[in-house]
Amino acid sequence: MISAGIDAGAATTKVLLLQDREIKGYRIAGTAFDFLTSAENMFVELLATLNIGREEIGKVYATGYGRNSISFADKSISEITAHAKGTSFLFPEVRGIIDVGGQDSKVIVVEDGKVTDFLMNDKCAAGTGKFLEYTAKALEVPINDLGDLALGSSRPADITSMCTVFAESEVISLRARGISKEDIAAGLIASIAQRVLVMAKRMGLKEHIAFVGGVAKNAGMKAALEKELGVTLYVPFEPQITGALGAAIAAQGSIKQG
Amino acid sequence: MHMKNEYQNYMSFSLQSLDFFKDSYELRIAQLKEERGKGIKIVGTFCLYVPDEIIFAAGADRIVLCGGRADTISVAEQSLPRNICPLIKSSFGAVVDAYCGGNLACSHVPLVDVVVAEATCDGKKKMYEILPDYLPTYVLDLPQKPGSPEALDYFLSELRKFGKFMEGLTGNVVSNDALRREIRLANETKRLLHRLFDLRRRNPPPIRGSEVLQVMQKQFFLSPDQFRQGVSRLCDEMERIPPAARTGPRIMISGCPMAAGNMKVPDIIEQKGGVIVVEESCTGTRSFWDLVDEDTDPWMALAERYLEIPCACMTPNDRRVARIVDLAKQYDVQGVVYYTLQFCHAYNIERLQVQRALKKEKIPLLAIESDYGDSDREQIGIRVDAFLEMIA
Repeated sequence: MISAGIDAGAATTKVLLLQDREIKGYRIAGTAFDFLTSAENMFVELLATLNIGREEIGKVYATGYGRNSISFADKSISEITAHAKGTSFLFPEVRGIIDVGGQDSKVIVVEDGKVTDFLMNDKCAAGTGKFLEYTAKALEVPINDLGDLALGSSRPADITSMCTVFAESEVISLRARGISKEDIAAGLIASIAQRVLVMAKRMGLKEHIAFVGGVAKNAGMKAALEKELGVTLYVPFEPQITGALGAAIAAQGSIKQG
Repeated sequence: MHMKNEYQNYMSFSLQSLDFFKDSYELRIAQLKEERGKGIKIVGTFCLYVPDEIIFAAGADRIVLCGGRADTISVAEQSLPRNICPLIKSSFGAVVDAYCGGNLACSHVPLVDVVVAEATCDGKKKMYEILPDYLPTYVLDLPQKPGSPEALDYFLSELRKFGKFMEGLTGNVVSNDALRREIRLANETKRLLHRLFDLRRRNPPPIRGSEVLQVMQKQFFLSPDQFRQGVSRLCDEMERIPPAARTGPRIMISGCPMAAGNMKVPDIIEQKGGVIVVEESCTGTRSFWDLVDEDTDPWMALAERYLEIPCACMTPNDRRVARIVDLAKQYDVQGVVYYTLQFCHAYNIERLQVQRALKKEKIPLLAIESDYGDSDREQIGIRVDAFLEMIA
């Protein structure tokens, strides 16, 4: 039986189809104003691309910030549970997960795929993808290039502001002082990495740590976290799909039970 | 919508005896107005450390002034810093608004003759220094390290001084007999609340946590007589309820008080399917858990009992940590939601000790810090969802 997982995230929506233990396909796209329409369109497109009929789908589970808006889903589960399931599916040995998404960041402690503790960032944009998005704009660098740019830094700039709005003006003043783009980019990444690290250490993560969410695509961020944690992070082939994958796995579980 | 919560069918009945608590506001206001007409003094209080028994023994009445509403906060922020706890701002804003003839404050605020405050947290202490601009204010001092005989002696002397103040206010003598009578009556209230909370040990409990909270928010608002009658009827009704079938994870809330109007976190927990079975807070067990000794010197008995209140403004506060672990076991809870008001440093910091103690017992904890606004409902909802999924 095929199940579907929909991760209606604040910034991006992810749709994934799972047949038993095989990922049939997935879609990732920016979330439009309406969570439901975004998800529905992507779901229909994905089915068409894979040549799968709607009737072949056993259960649809939703997760993510807009999970309760997905009216065609059978059930919704929290992102914490979804990421834990999805990440443990890809890396069964994982004991800790760092997820940095568009609107929040979280650290999850897992044991055999089950959540045993978790921590989410405060309710502002500090320590999230939004922080990088805004500050990259102030640096006039495409967000996708920020990580590689940072790897070329020799002396990362000191970004002291945790507030996204203040950090943006800090970037502008650093530019005015003639600090290189590379050093500013590295400074930005170091500042968000620091924020995430505090959470990881509070949760006692030591080894077998996965890094997921959109920001895990940022090579500079991965390197900064690895340096501080002293381990190599597990990063999925597509770090944005672990939530949708987890939802699809939960949906499969319910098919088997029921 | 078809995405029904698994526990949505839980408790579709409603307890009729709760209506009394919902409808009691006007009744109480009328009573207070009548008392004032007769020259009875009305004392406004903010804290469990101020013994009701002394106020009543002096022939006065009392009413709680703790604010749980968001709309008076902007009034307070005209004078107070923004980054102090919402309870202090809401309470202060209500007094200022009432004094300035505004229409935000509840109509009981202007009925108060004097505030009897207490030296607990920094925010409150400093707010009480400004309060006399609007209302006469008496501050009861508290030792900060409660575990010594010297602290007890000091608190005893503070209570006696407070007794003298009440005598001056009312013109009545606070006799030992009157104190003993009030101690017995207050113990009766405490025993009734034990009866109410004992019923919540059932699985599932015959009452929602949010409903109990609304009762507890009226404890220092209603007259003790009215309150006891209401709780007694409620317990009678709960005892008649047949056991229900299914239930969600059993949750304890521990932390800051939830003053009347502040229902956000319990509401979210219940919407998500959690079953709140006990609250370790000033709007929970702390007001009634320990009784006052009826057989010794009444002043000393009060001093001993009230100094034992495990508030985070005390140091060290090990007995609170022990109490939480004990309650978690007694009420068979699967998880603790540690609730703090934004900027409440004492409870925020104490979380670490509580979390460590609970971890030893393998009881998970979810920390939620929030103010009186609605902007974080969704964020809290995500955390509660994940927590319930984790412990289910």
